[in-house]
Amino acid sequence: MSTAVNDTHVGVRTRRQGQLGQVMHRLRKNKVAMLGLVIMLLLIAMALLSPWIAPYNYAKTSKADRYASPSWQHLFGCDAMGRDILSRIMYGARASLWLGLMSTLVATVIGVLLGSLVGYYGGRVDNIVMRILDIIQAIPGMLLSIAISAALGSGIGNTILALSIGGVPMTVRLLRGSILTVRKQEYIEAAEKINCSKWRVITAHILPNSIAPVIVSVTMGIGNTILQAASLSYIGLGVQPPTPEWGAMLSEGKSMITKYPHLCIFPGLAIMLVVLCLNMLGDGLRDAMDPKLKN
Amino acid sequence: MANPMIEVRHLKKYFNTPKGTLHAVDDISFKIEKGRTMGVVGESGCGKSTLGRTIIHLLEPTDGQIFLDGKDITHVDKKQMHEINERMQIVFQDPYSSLNPRQTVEDVIREPLKLSKRYKTRAEIDRKTDELMQLVGIDERLRHAYPHELDGGRRQRVGIARALSLNPDFIVCDEPVSALDVSIQAQVLNLLQDLQEKQGLTYMFVTHDLSVVRHISDDICVMYLGQLVETSPAKELFIKPLHPYTKALLSAIPSTDIDHPHERIKLQGEITSPVDPKPGCRFAARCPYAAEACKQPQQLEEILPNHYISCCRARELNKDIL
Amino acid sequence: MGNKDVLLSVKNLTVEYTSEGEVIHAVNNVSFELEKGKTIGLVGETGAGKTSIARAILRILPEPPARVPNGEVVFEGKDLLKIREEDMQKIRGKEISMIFQDPMTALNPIMRVGEQIAEVIKLHEHCSKQESIEKAKKMLEMVGIPGERFYEYPHQFSGGMKQRVVIAMALACSPTLLLADEPTTALDVTIQAQVLDMINDLKQKLNTSMIMITHDLGIVAEVCDTVAVIYAGEIMEYGTKEQIFHNPQYPYTIGLFGSLPDLNSDVERLSPIEGLPPNPADLPRGCAFHPRCPYATEECQKEHIELKDIGEGHLCRCCRLQEIAAQKAKEV
Repeated sequence: MSTAVNDTHVGVRTRRQGQLGQVMHRLRKNKVAMLGLVIMLLLIAMALLSPWIAPYNYAKTSKADRYASPSWQHLFGCDAMGRDILSRIMYGARASLWLGLMSTLVATVIGVLLGSLVGYYGGRVDNIVMRILDIIQAIPGMLLSIAISAALGSGIGNTILALSIGGVPMTVRLLRGSILTVRKQEYIEAAEKINCSKWRVITAHILPNSIAPVIVSVTMGIGNTILQAASLSYIGLGVQPPTPEWGAMLSEGKSMITKYPHLCIFPGLAIMLVVLCLNMLGDGLRDAMDPKLKN
Repeated sequence: MANPMIEVRHLKKYFNTPKGTLHAVDDISFKIEKGRTMGVVGESGCGKSTLGRTIIHLLEPTDGQIFLDGKDITHVDKKQMHEINERMQIVFQDPYSSLNPRQTVEDVIREPLKLSKRYKTRAEIDRKTDELMQLVGIDERLRHAYPHELDGGRRQRVGIARALSLNPDFIVCDEPVSALDVSIQAQVLNLLQDLQEKQGLTYMFVTHDLSVVRHISDDICVMYLGQLVETSPAKELFIKPLHPYTKALLSAIPSTDIDHPHERIKLQGEITSPVDPKPGCRFAARCPYAAEACKQPQQLEEILPNHYISCCRARELNKDIL
Repeated sequence: MGNKDVLLSVKNLTVEYTSEGEVIHAVNNVSFELEKGKTIGLVGETGAGKTSIARAILRILPEPPARVPNGEVVFEGKDLLKIREEDMQKIRGKEISMIFQDPMTALNPIMRVGEQIAEVIKLHEHCSKQESIEKAKKMLEMVGIPGERFYEYPHQFSGGMKQRVVIAMALACSPTLLLADEPTTALDVTIQAQVLDMINDLKQKLNTSMIMITHDLGIVAEVCDTVAVIYAGEIMEYGTKEQIFHNPQYPYTIGLFGSLPDLNSDVERLSPIEGLPPNPADLPRGCAFHPRCPYATEECQKEHIELKDIGEGHLCRCCRLQEIAAQKAKEV
């Protein structure tokens, strides 16, 4: 068979460059996304290393420094109990980031499992699960988290659970929609015909082609969850003092916002920075995962 | 006499829709002998694709029987299904949706080999992959190419290689060239014919294109709205079409013979719905020769040797030919 | 080609698309003429440039990324590429109209079928709303659809009927020139036959001239008077229907005939044209077909080949015709 003439650029790879490799390659070229990624990584590093790099102990109170304004000694000032805000922000990153990441992870895992089942089998399973999720989604997110949090009690573990349940319906819906399209493709029928087990059809054929919207939504969702965690702490649920958490810090400072704004500004900025970077990363991932965009 | 490779008896496939029961395939019977190609031709909604998919068990039959090499395979369990898949395969119509966009050419061809228990070592799998790629004419340098980097013709070749990987005896070709550019169609058609000779394959070739089906088939079945209206050896169908629908279909094809323009049989009306159809011939609504008797269920009769037709007025309308 | 009542004269039409820094040469210096009341077929594969030619004539190319760097499209004495957009709007739909390929997407799904026809009429004929509705109903009857169906929506129609509605829209204002872009590709054979017959009938009644874009040689045989074979954006062969069907000269044309299964002949194997159509962003030097041509030599790669008249207006863009004929005579 003669080979064609003008497609010498096609598929000439001497070694396998997996889809993941291609996505990473495209992502690396996106400066905005990389900036977001780098800042996130720095924040995570800061959180992890906080016990060693924070200038002060986050719990150390000091009557003399109450409400101290930002100065060379205390770069972000001090809070109502004289605790260094910078140290509390650094240490608070642990709680905030952990809550955000873990809740989103739990929601995603549950969501993907449920979504795959529902998308692949359809029928009655689909109906029952989707109606239950409809009920969950009908309850306003904050209210749901509050209710679950109040029922389970405070503490990081329970807060994670409270935050994650609200995120499940969205993930399931996204994945299910994606799967419904992919399922109709002929390569799924072909997979069944070459003796793929149902498990393999789902994991090797359906999921990789339908997971993209979920991944993007997840990256953006982490930012949202952090905001929600902050809101929970703001109203007194979630993380309890003296463990610092950005939302809790916002809450503590709200009564003094006109006199001592620095109590709220810095935690607020921190939250904003994380959400911004994750959105930049999420945008970049979405673009990188689209194979139709040329290199 | 040896068993036919494929035999189908009174095969039915119905779908439940909110509007009623869709009779996609309604009481179809035919045989395909080993090594031959049965062309199945008809317009949209005739059920030809559903027929192909039902025979190879991508869809479960509603009624009737399917025989593979004499063995009844109408109802099979999982283990039997695995064995059947190694004997019956399918080439799909759409080169764009029949390949997983995340698999390279090599991945697509290796997957069935890996899943099959026939190949134990990696070396064996590699060898078989090379063999298949050569057989269908895919260049070695395209091993790691993704589907979106290949043109329609090449994608179809990959699909054909995949279908051949388990060494099947019977392949359903579901409109394999309809979505390809005209100059590529010929290449793929030739490939399919070459493979049939080399490997002794039996084909069921589903298409709406009459010129293609005449070229590639040994025998042809004409379907209309789920019913089998006529079946005969390929060349004979075009010389002696007996059913009014077949005649209308053939006369509708624009001819490249500019010196002998032919008279066109004009059909009235539109195609009726296959949902909850009335008994009797479904073509009657548009047939210029429809009569009262057409409202009764029609029987498939052998009017000429190996030439079956499902029309109560066939003999009377074709007096001059018979 | 004599100067007998030429309706449309296309000269040196060139269309380019720019995409991500690449220039795609879709149409390269195409020239042809169409006489009043006649039909010319533009034959070629996907990507050959046929649709771009039609859209350039109607000036409905997406600009950017498309560009028409040069060319003339003279219609009834005016160069369509140079007139103002307002004047072009008066011509589109009235004097020149187009039937698009895919009836599924050519109709507005949320507008009643009859209203879409009436809209065209009202725009061009300056009549009252009631009058346009009456005329639209008449058009529907003319294409074989009962007038009461004016008030239905596209999804209530089958593919063939939708295409008939599209044709009714195209012919509503009795255009002088009709551009038909693969109007029956998406239709079943029997419906295609109905639609082709109808187009032929209406053509005769209204004396419409037509440009028929297709890859189906059967349709060309039934509907066209002259044929232009398009490859890589150029006309490679041009002639009357008889000239092209009885005596195809250009190797690609011969290849097309040989590669299509034909009801009227019996071959063991088809003779496909080897290779793939060229990349329009990177066209071969010299003759665009030479990489796939079984008769190509060094000469074919050197310079661009011009169209030559090989007798009675039959044009062909091959520089080796005589040698090829001699070669074939030896083979026989």
